[in-house]
Amino acid sequence: MLVPNKNHLFHQIRRKPSQIVAPILFLVLVVYLLFGIGQSSSKKPKYSYKDKTQGWLLSSKIPPGPDEMAKNHIMHYNMNLLETTVMPAFNKEQVLVLTPMSKFYPEYWDNLLALSYPRELMELGFIVPRGKAGDEVVKKLETAVKAVQRSSTESARFARVTILRQDSESVESQLEKDRHALKAQKERRSKMALARNSLLFSTLGPFTSWVLWLDADVVETPKTLIQDLATHNKAVIAANCYQRYYNEETKKNDIRPYDYNNWVESEEGLRLASTLGPDEIIVEGYAELPTFRALMAHFYDPHGDLSTEMQLDGVGGTAVLVKAEVHRDGAMFPSFPFYHLIETEGFAKMAKRLGYQVFGLPNYLVYHYNE
Amino acid sequence: MSKDSIIAQPMGTLNFKVLRRYNSTLLRSSKHFATNPKTILVVLVALFLMLFNMIRPFNNSLYEPDFENTKNTHYYDLDNYKGSEDGWQRGERVVFLVPLRDAAAHLPMFFRHMRNMTYPHHLVDMAFLVSDSSDNTMGVLKDNLLELQHDPDPKIHFGEIIIFEKDFGQAIGQGFSDRHGFAAQGPRRKLMARARNWLSSVAVKPYHSWVYWRDVDVETVPTTIIEDLMHHNKDVIVPNVWRPLPDWLGNQQPYDLNSWQESDGGLQLASTLDEDAVIVEGYVEYATWRPHLAYLRDPYGDPEAEMPLDGIGGVSILSKAKVFKSGSNFPAFSFEKHAETEGFGKLSRRMGYDVVGLPHYVVWHIYEPSSDDLKHMEWMAKEEERQRQEKEIQAVYKKYWDQGFEDVSDAWAKERHYMMKNTDFRKQRKIEVDWSGEDDYEPAVKANAVKDQDRAANFYPQ
Repeated sequence: MLVPNKNHLFHQIRRKPSQIVAPILFLVLVVYLLFGIGQSSSKKPKYSYKDKTQGWLLSSKIPPGPDEMAKNHIMHYNMNLLETTVMPAFNKEQVLVLTPMSKFYPEYWDNLLALSYPRELMELGFIVPRGKAGDEVVKKLETAVKAVQRSSTESARFARVTILRQDSESVESQLEKDRHALKAQKERRSKMALARNSLLFSTLGPFTSWVLWLDADVVETPKTLIQDLATHNKAVIAANCYQRYYNEETKKNDIRPYDYNNWVESEEGLRLASTLGPDEIIVEGYAELPTFRALMAHFYDPHGDLSTEMQLDGVGGTAVLVKAEVHRDGAMFPSFPFYHLIETEGFAKMAKRLGYQVFGLPNYLVYHYNE
Repeated sequence: MSKDSIIAQPMGTLNFKVLRRYNSTLLRSSKHFATNPKTILVVLVALFLMLFNMIRPFNNSLYEPDFENTKNTHYYDLDNYKGSEDGWQRGERVVFLVPLRDAAAHLPMFFRHMRNMTYPHHLVDMAFLVSDSSDNTMGVLKDNLLELQHDPDPKIHFGEIIIFEKDFGQAIGQGFSDRHGFAAQGPRRKLMARARNWLSSVAVKPYHSWVYWRDVDVETVPTTIIEDLMHHNKDVIVPNVWRPLPDWLGNQQPYDLNSWQESDGGLQLASTLDEDAVIVEGYVEYATWRPHLAYLRDPYGDPEAEMPLDGIGGVSILSKAKVFKSGSNFPAFSFEKHAETEGFGKLSRRMGYDVVGLPHYVVWHIYEPSSDDLKHMEWMAKEEERQRQEKEIQAVYKKYWDQGFEDVSDAWAKERHYMMKNTDFRKQRKIEVDWSGEDDYEPAVKANAVKDQDRAANFYPQ
């Protein structure tokens, strides 16, 4: 006997099975999807790539990067074509003029602008300390650079000007008295070496043939400084740095030697070096450390030939022309005692270790600012 | 005026207005102090803006010149490019420095790695130095670069790419054994150092925060290599470098022995050498007893583990750009009796930077067989052929033996019983044989035997 099924639900399932199957399928799908998402989350990248420069409270801008990029960003320089010849201006060789600048002297800038080397072949590089004093220098430099670089004639503009702000704090006191105290010398010159290196290795370009190191307080040089130094065709060549002053004794304007870091090594200097510990340095011009080295400053002859050369073992950085290949090979300014020498003097030693010769011109004068 | 201070200007005026309103609300609130939710909100906003503006100046206190309309003039604050542990999230630029010499064969592999690299590509600049190449390195390089930069996916494109060309001339061949022979090391390392310095001195720009040195002949490298090294936040850091080997050489081997810690033995050796000598690791001539990064690897060790180093290898170096900017480089002369990458480690240490290696984090260099390996491989191939032919001939011999001679030993064991069953051995008389004369004959027999043996050992089918 057939009893009619009164259960409405059963009836419904029999008539339309898809009504119950569909929700079950849906549930399975949801579980699968959740499971699937769980799996893919375990494959998420090892590091987060979220931009941290844009916060909701403080946003720091991304510092500037390269500005002039080729179309597909690919450039090609053949550095085999680089040359350093005795006629750099004629052969269109680029010169990079580098100046660490802790004070802006208008006389320095005027002298730089007066140089006769073609400006389209000259690149300038400056490095300025942090802090208030540095801000002053940057402001003055900005005004001076804008006046030149905004000129409409191309030949009046320099090929490139780079101003760098040092990343580390410089030594606080730059007073003349403190500056020359023997104890402070090592630290000051170590910082100076770092500044010089940062400037050099950030600005050296693929077509730079020569690097002219010119101190910010060198206020008077011959107009043909670059050409004159390059004519000697030496790897490293230094001018003799003097200072103008008023001589009280003779009641006349006079000159006196200023940069004592251009020297020839002596027996006594080597002997002294051998007695020092590995972290001690020798600096010139201190009674505590008599080296009896022959100082180029004392070899100046007012009536002598301007092109007289002398071989040196140490140089000061006041006005030195260096073939770029010397720096490219790795000659830098040691910020640590290198053969008991530091900064520019250490640089001369390193250039020599790399097989280059260092020269000076005792009768070729440039003048330092008188403080 | 800098961009930031322009942005800061309206913020200041707004704050001033708010302050004025804040002051007036204070005056009003003194009259009817009954809480007005609007007033409280305004006061809170004013306080917040004041705090915000107080924080801002610390963020950017130095004067920044604006050279927007000034031709070819640039200002960079080097402090912005010091490098941080999460540089990829802060837009820090990495410059890849890749010295190339006769590297055409390895370039496609190198660019496959570049393509897969996870560091944001637009933050990666590349600089190649192509020198003294006799193969088509330049052509292959340019083809690969163009393909990369014209990829339909813009995320593949890299930043600035510069190819420098400079020949130094070379005294030494580029075969594995030419390069790795002991006598060749000093001059070779000095020449390599010059090439590296020429590249870094011109390629590192003020806006680079990181420098990554990479050899092209790296076979296996994690795609996150830059992040993996960068997040340690060290001045100079290197991974461990191994190479895979064929089975007969033991599967794998440390490759880069230039990453080491200085030892007393090393210092003592250095003090006995003359000024221009260069100590090179991994040669019996210079036993330094230094702990090498390569040998300290534990395949199951923590890849994050660090080890301070004095000398490093050049296969893969991540360094903060300030290390190179401040003057450290690859000495092309004997610096503390070391040159090139090992000298770079020493020099960087001397300048106060930390130099670190990761013993358990490995990248794999390709395997290039040495000339001894090549000889051995040639011998192995010959040996394999010889064994194959010998087997063939043995098979033929075996067949003839089987057919020509029947083995009857089993049958004899059975038959012996039947044949001897009527023989009583106990009654057999004892037979003594005098062998004394036989000894005289022995040497001749032995000589023959040796000859036969010899023939068997030198078996070479023609």
